[in-house]
Amino acid sequence: MRVLAGLRRRLDSWARPRRPESLPARLDRKRIYILPTGFGAFVTALLLTMAIGALNYNNNPALLLCLLLVGAALASLLWTQLQLSGLDIRAVHGAPVAAGQPMPLRVHVDAAPGRERRGLHLALGDSDAVLSLDDAGGEATVVLPTLRRGWLSPPRLRISTTRPLGLARAWSWVWPQTRFLVYPTPEAFGPPLPEGGGDAAQARLNPSGEDLHHLRDWRPGDAPRTIAWKASARRDALIVREFERPQGDDLTLDWQRLGALDHESKIRRLARWVDEAERNALHYRLQLPGQAAIGPDRGAAHRHACLRALALMPEAG
Amino acid sequence: MARKVLALDAAGRRWTLLAAAVCLVPLLLQLPMPLSVAIAIAGAIAAAMASRRVTPGWLRAVLALAVFGLIFAQGGMNFGRDTGCALLAGMLAIKPSELRSVRDARSLLGFALFAPFATFLLDQGPVSLVLGLLGAVLVLAALARLSEQEAGLPAAGVRHATRVGIVVKLIAIGLPLALAAFWLFPRLATPLWGIPDMSTARPGLSDEMSPGGWLDLIADDTPAMRVSFRGAEPTTREMYWRGPTLTDYDGRRWTASPWLRSLPPAEVEHGAPTWDYEIALEPTERNLLVALEMPLEIPPGVRAAHEYTLTSERRLDRITRWNLRSSPQVRFESDLPDPMRRLALRLPPGFNPRTRALAQQWRSETDDDGALVDRALAWIRGEFAYTLETPLPGRHAVDEFLFDYKAGFCEHFSSAFTVLMREAGVPARVVTGYTGGTRNAYGNYWIVRRMDAHAWAEVWLEGRGWVRVDPTAAVAPERIYDTLEDRLGAGGAGAAGGLLPIADLGDWARRMWNDFMLGFDADRQQRMLQRIGFEHIDTGRLIGLFSLCAAFALGWMLWLVARGERERDPLLRAWHRLGRRYARLGLGRARHEPALAWARRVQAARPGEKALVALTARFTAARYAAGASDATLTRALRAHRPAREIDR
Repeated sequence: MRVLAGLRRRLDSWARPRRPESLPARLDRKRIYILPTGFGAFVTALLLTMAIGALNYNNNPALLLCLLLVGAALASLLWTQLQLSGLDIRAVHGAPVAAGQPMPLRVHVDAAPGRERRGLHLALGDSDAVLSLDDAGGEATVVLPTLRRGWLSPPRLRISTTRPLGLARAWSWVWPQTRFLVYPTPEAFGPPLPEGGGDAAQARLNPSGEDLHHLRDWRPGDAPRTIAWKASARRDALIVREFERPQGDDLTLDWQRLGALDHESKIRRLARWVDEAERNALHYRLQLPGQAAIGPDRGAAHRHACLRALALMPEAG
Repeated sequence: MARKVLALDAAGRRWTLLAAAVCLVPLLLQLPMPLSVAIAIAGAIAAAMASRRVTPGWLRAVLALAVFGLIFAQGGMNFGRDTGCALLAGMLAIKPSELRSVRDARSLLGFALFAPFATFLLDQGPVSLVLGLLGAVLVLAALARLSEQEAGLPAAGVRHATRVGIVVKLIAIGLPLALAAFWLFPRLATPLWGIPDMSTARPGLSDEMSPGGWLDLIADDTPAMRVSFRGAEPTTREMYWRGPTLTDYDGRRWTASPWLRSLPPAEVEHGAPTWDYEIALEPTERNLLVALEMPLEIPPGVRAAHEYTLTSERRLDRITRWNLRSSPQVRFESDLPDPMRRLALRLPPGFNPRTRALAQQWRSETDDDGALVDRALAWIRGEFAYTLETPLPGRHAVDEFLFDYKAGFCEHFSSAFTVLMREAGVPARVVTGYTGGTRNAYGNYWIVRRMDAHAWAEVWLEGRGWVRVDPTAAVAPERIYDTLEDRLGAGGAGAAGGLLPIADLGDWARRMWNDFMLGFDADRQQRMLQRIGFEHIDTGRLIGLFSLCAAFALGWMLWLVARGERERDPLLRAWHRLGRRYARLGLGRARHEPALAWARRVQAARPGEKALVALTARFTAARYAAGASDATLTRALRAHRPAREIDR
């Protein structure tokens, strides 16, 4: 088995494309590979046995039936190959996710109309999906595992099919020359957002404020004075009050103030703070070393800009 | 890569079971009736169990034991190819009881494909082939369904007719290759290994004859051989098809003499006329051939024994063709050596005392062997009757026949006559074979049925050698020489008489099938190639020719498949064709160009195009507006042609 696996890896490394390519990419016969499936090998052995027997006994009905089956099997190989031939891989889209989260990749494929192409198998690592095309093309989503922040170049995607008879598998690799952004993983637990931006005198939370934003579950690091005791008693769980921060009262998330944390931990904490500030609908500014401050602002685009900057922070050292 | 076990869905199960059942049918038709019924019932039970989640193991075991027990009870302890086929049928019937995953279904289908092939070992008729083809198509359709399921397509997504259509299309695409291989792939002139025996032999001519042994044979009206004459034809009274000659008698059974079999053929002086003919012999599973008395030339691959019993080198397990020439004998071994004379006079002691007494009495009255023969024939003609209903004889079989019940069929007449002659000192022996035949009006050939099997006697007379004497013919000539018409007419079966032309036509069609479908072999292949101009083609060049044709066929397949499936919607098809007409003018629609935008672009480029925009608008409305239908649109799209360029 190990030899087979090694052989398979070797074969895969020979397969085209051998380097990433820009999309759209068209599948043609040069890059479509076809090999019999296990069942196909079984049928081949079966038909061979039958042909030898029929020839030996000069049993013409048996020979004719056997040859018709051989013909149909060969035609099915062509058919299998043509399921892939002429496919256009238009684009691969992936929205950024935090490292460690699976990234869904939407693969958009189309082809000249006239040939039915359904039940194609799209695989990326262990993740797979069914791709069926109609006149307007087709789309399928596979999942790309992410491990670390920064740019992620996708590995080769495999499009394969065993239709119509399951005797052979035709497959082709697509290696999109594109990269997807992976946000840093926010730290799971940590201190609350820093108190205010710049002037520490401004309290972030105002227990007596009228503009109560909402109640939420208690998280480690929440100050005891924010706990809504009455509500907690009613719900039998600790509930924390959160208040809308008045406009103009900007929060600065500053790398320099994080103290003695190591490099990656700082990034993860800032990532959590960005998310938390966004969740609390605060205006925030991200200050990273050697870069202009981002913001202050809020909203999806700002969050993306901040997390992108964090994701692309150079490695420590 | 982790292999997932994909559970079989309901549609896949239905297809798999249907395909396996249809594959099983032709095989069951060839097996003995009770066995077939039992296997069919077992198959039905197994199929019913297939849909259940868990099949009790004991039930499967009981089913398997019952089926295999029955098969071995039927075939006895000798394992022949019919036993093998029955076992295959039994296993195929039981296999659906474990049908859970796609993998199970595929192995069942692969296994089911063996059933038609097994059928062809037992029977190569057109019905078997048609049923086998149907089974194969259904197996492929079932495979298509399994592959769809594997690809994640729901069963409802593809119609049954579409699926079968795809399979038929695949077969059609592969057809040229299949036919090229069928006609041109080098055939084996001699098989590498023989076909396995049958465990239960069909009754037929053999090297022995014992009382009552022929009753099955005489009741069997299937063809034994078909004969076509080139030139002169003998009359039915001259049609004695000589088979095994039986010389040794033990008081009950006649058997061939192994010693005579091993000797070279005796000397024969032939007379006129000469009959030149071809025999297409149905498979007998034996080596014995028959030939019109007396064969002049022995075809290659055939041995003639001393008494002109013809045996082929190979067992006749399929239809074989023999070109023979015969002419009536004038003298046949007129010089009988002493050991052979003794052999032809030998009788076991202590049997048939009354026959011996009669023979000695006759012998004392005359010295002339010929007169003795005539006297015996006259006696038989006067006092004996023909019947198939005879009691099983006791110890003195010939005595009982000659003096007690005086009625029987060829087996009794030939045996008693030969014993009587030997007791009287005339060398005599039993010859078996066929007599007569029926002429087929459509095909100009003679058909000899198994029921035409016959036994007669030969006596050795001074100066003439062995002379044929047919005591049965002395009693009931109509039972021997008659044709099927006579028999049916005698029975007063007018309706059956009216059906005779149809039966003749059926047999003629079957003969064509035998000739063109079953008879194609290495020899025929050579002749076919010679006819189209390839003299003396050897295997290497044949393979070259085959490869060339196969390459053409493959190229055709490639082209045909690459052309792709036709668009199913006639409206879309007409629309695409319309688009291609403009593409030829360099005004093809870009892939993502909206239809109307394209039409306007065409109009801008060619001011003559007035109708196109309107037509395109109709098309978009029909295709994309909900509920819109435009009955004449398809025709309008088909009829539309780009406007002629107006000279500017």
